[in-house]
Amino acid sequence: MGADPETEVAPPFSKPSWMGREVAPTLTILLDNDTLQKRISWNYEKPRHFKVQGRIQFSGTPREASLIWETPEKRYILEDLSGYYDIIIDLDARDITFKLHMNIPPFENALDTLFPSKGEYGLIVSSDVAVQSMALQLEIEGDKYGLLGTDQRGRDVFSLFLLGIRVSLIIGISATLIASFIGLSVGLMSGYLGGLTYALIMRGVDVLLTIPILPILMALAAVWGKGLWQLVLILSLFSWMGTARTVRAMTLSLRESCYIEGLRGLGAAPAYILYRHLLPETLPLLLANIALGVPGAILAEASISFLGLSDPRVISWGRMLHEAHSFGAFSNGAWWLLIPPGFGIALLCLIFLDIGKYLEELVDPRLKGEQPE
Amino acid sequence: MIRIHDLNVTYRSNSRQVHAVRNANLTIEKGRITALVGESGSGKSTLLMAVTKLLPPGVSLKGSILFENRDLLSMTEGEIGSYRWKKIALILQGSMNSLTPVISIGSQIEEVLSFHLSLNGSLLKKRTHELLSEAGLDPSFSMRFPHELSGGQKQRAAIAMALACDPPFLLADEPTTALDVITQSEIIGMLERVVRARNMGMLMVTHDIALASSLGDEIVVMKDGRIVERGDPSSILHFPEHHHTRELISALRKIEGGTYHE
Amino acid sequence: MNSPGTSLYLENLGVTFTSKRSGKVDALKGISLKMEQGDTFALVGESGSGKTTLLRVVLGLLRPGGGKVFLLEKDLEKCTREELTQLRRQCGYIPQDPYGCLPPTLSVIQSVLEPCLIVGGRKSLPMAKDKAGKLLREAGLDDPSLWDSRVRSALSGGQRQRVSIARALVLDPLLLLADEPTSMQDASTRGEIIEILKRHVKRGMSLIFVTHDLFLARTAAERILVLYRGCPCEEGPSDEIVKDPLHPYTRALLAASPRLGQKIISVSRGSQENGLETEGCPFRSRCPETGEQCASLPPLKALGSRKVACWKVR
Repeated sequence: MGADPETEVAPPFSKPSWMGREVAPTLTILLDNDTLQKRISWNYEKPRHFKVQGRIQFSGTPREASLIWETPEKRYILEDLSGYYDIIIDLDARDITFKLHMNIPPFENALDTLFPSKGEYGLIVSSDVAVQSMALQLEIEGDKYGLLGTDQRGRDVFSLFLLGIRVSLIIGISATLIASFIGLSVGLMSGYLGGLTYALIMRGVDVLLTIPILPILMALAAVWGKGLWQLVLILSLFSWMGTARTVRAMTLSLRESCYIEGLRGLGAAPAYILYRHLLPETLPLLLANIALGVPGAILAEASISFLGLSDPRVISWGRMLHEAHSFGAFSNGAWWLLIPPGFGIALLCLIFLDIGKYLEELVDPRLKGEQPE
Repeated sequence: MIRIHDLNVTYRSNSRQVHAVRNANLTIEKGRITALVGESGSGKSTLLMAVTKLLPPGVSLKGSILFENRDLLSMTEGEIGSYRWKKIALILQGSMNSLTPVISIGSQIEEVLSFHLSLNGSLLKKRTHELLSEAGLDPSFSMRFPHELSGGQKQRAAIAMALACDPPFLLADEPTTALDVITQSEIIGMLERVVRARNMGMLMVTHDIALASSLGDEIVVMKDGRIVERGDPSSILHFPEHHHTRELISALRKIEGGTYHE
Repeated sequence: MNSPGTSLYLENLGVTFTSKRSGKVDALKGISLKMEQGDTFALVGESGSGKTTLLRVVLGLLRPGGGKVFLLEKDLEKCTREELTQLRRQCGYIPQDPYGCLPPTLSVIQSVLEPCLIVGGRKSLPMAKDKAGKLLREAGLDDPSLWDSRVRSALSGGQRQRVSIARALVLDPLLLLADEPTSMQDASTRGEIIEILKRHVKRGMSLIFVTHDLFLARTAAERILVLYRGCPCEEGPSDEIVKDPLHPYTRALLAASPRLGQKIISVSRGSQENGLETEGCPFRSRCPETGEQCASLPPLKALGSRKVACWKVR
């Protein structure tokens, strides 16, 4: 994935390459110093576009040199290179000059001539002088590309999909970790230390829990701006409450245990009791909660992105769905823009739910069904 | 008569094979109270639960338990279900805490009667009151809920339920261990009276050999899954043969007979 | 040990609980006792007798409604929090429930060392380790490989109880409060536990031993106080009380206690009441010798070396 996923690699809404045997793919043919010709088998319909670009430098000035396009029926001279020591090539099959040069009527599609039938084709540079340096690129644009086709901007959907994993994981895991940390701290302290401040915080928590998250997130996204870490922050701030309440309840009950009472009686510092006893006891339950909280964060991010409120520079699955929806994937029948990201979100959530279930069973042996003592 | 023949019970725990009961041979006769005595881990409770196949899944049972010419161990769950409660009743240590908390105890006894014996109508109420009185509870208790009863009263209710189908045999696993000493004496007294009056056969499991000697016609001592000694109370107490029995008895005698300044 | 003269002094102690269901309940009423350093005292009573409440009052965990409590010669009512903490550090407590009283996240040896850590800080640990090992061995847990295992996973109920005994003794307490410390032990090993406690008593520790078993009480302590529903019934030397009980409750308790070769006798009347009579003698609904005077609470009267609270005893 060295290439920038933002580049346009093929025409918009290209189908995945495994669809449609006759559909013309998007190809690039490269010629360089060592490769003066290349041949391909073309068993498809005619492509949409034909472009040759590059630069050729000869070691001397050739008397006879040309750039040839060989079809199963005829050989065409795309450009006469005779007499040029150093020449830049820029040919486009849509240009009228090209068509005139090739004796094709100006309003006819040049590709009919260039790709008359299925068979062997070749791009050849021939000259009577050696080629010193050459970088020539023939771009054939068809209707299909890559594993998952392209989107409305011509970007490779498969690369975008893989990038989306990264974003979903980053957002899902960091938001949940931060939220759990906040929830754990608030829960432990309010459960153990109590007091008016913490009672007030818990009442505040109760109020916050009644507010529907999505509208708030939308408003905050509009105010605070878009960006990956802003999103993580917003998501964390609104999901720590559940954890805080669970941890607080656990702490309150653990506080009354016999040994905690004994330790308090002996004069153990609250910090010692919290760190050495209460934390290790509440943490395992928290692990399961964390695993189960990640899907929530992932879905929240996907929802916000789908509504178009996320950073357009950040490629996420939700964003992909948004762009698919806004830029006409439906009308173009480009299902490959909708199913992979949707599927990806669902699959990732299911994986984390499974992890969470496994952790829950690890922590609470009763769920596994233990053997009799 | 229930005849336990070469009973072996094994299960896996922490990837180890545990031999809970080894080659146990025991007979429970009508009209006799057999007390099964042992320390924790001796296998006594496992043996009792094996009789009506109430052990958890994953436990392997070998041997045979003959009752009314049939081997209980070879029965399916459905077949043995018809034996439980009607022929062999159970009182467990936790019975008093296993009463349904949201139904009055009278209704719970009526449930047993209508399910197993298909009684209904006025006969149902009459029989319930009879059972409660037999267990030492005033019939007005039938309207009370379990949480309104003391520990001893709850255990009496559980015993009334066990007797509902007039079973010829009763299996009791530490029925009074969680109760106060005085309440224990009352319950044991009531159990003995009822069992003798109905000529039932009873197997009682306990860790307290003194309690066993007070109640049982026969004492059976278990250690590490094996039956190490059996006999009537006076022979066991005065002439114990196995060293484990001797240990148990001497430890108790020390506490009973000693003074502070030993 | 430079220790105070009187370990515990209780005068007319009373604790009342108010609940919505049963109204006011006297968990303890009129309890008085005096223990010198090195004394052993057994509290005998069944559930609901108030034994655990009494221990909580002594530890300062519960404020009594009336009466005086002097722990190690300090009036608990007038103690500041620091003074109370200091007092508690000189007392050992073996709780009744061995499952809730040990921290589940620590290993066996850590559980025993924890009180040292809290009182003496990290620097006291190396020295304390030897003492902890000795106590564990004394308590019968001599397999050192067991010491590093987590309490929660590796130990049986009986073993846990032994660990909590070692934990209670690690600070060399002046007063040990043991609440049914042999409940999880097999009959053959109960004597061992009492031996361990007695060894520490010989070195000057005072012991309060709570149990429902009269015989166990006699083996563990020199004096017994019998409680029923929070009221004192009988107090005196343990040998005498067990040989010749005077109070009807003590007599019923003795008759009902299983003894080798003797049939247990139920002399009390089964009570149909779950009610809690607030006036008069609490035992009167089950007492075989109840009479009219029992409607008012009998005072604890001295009779030779003993004290008995019953109208029928002269």
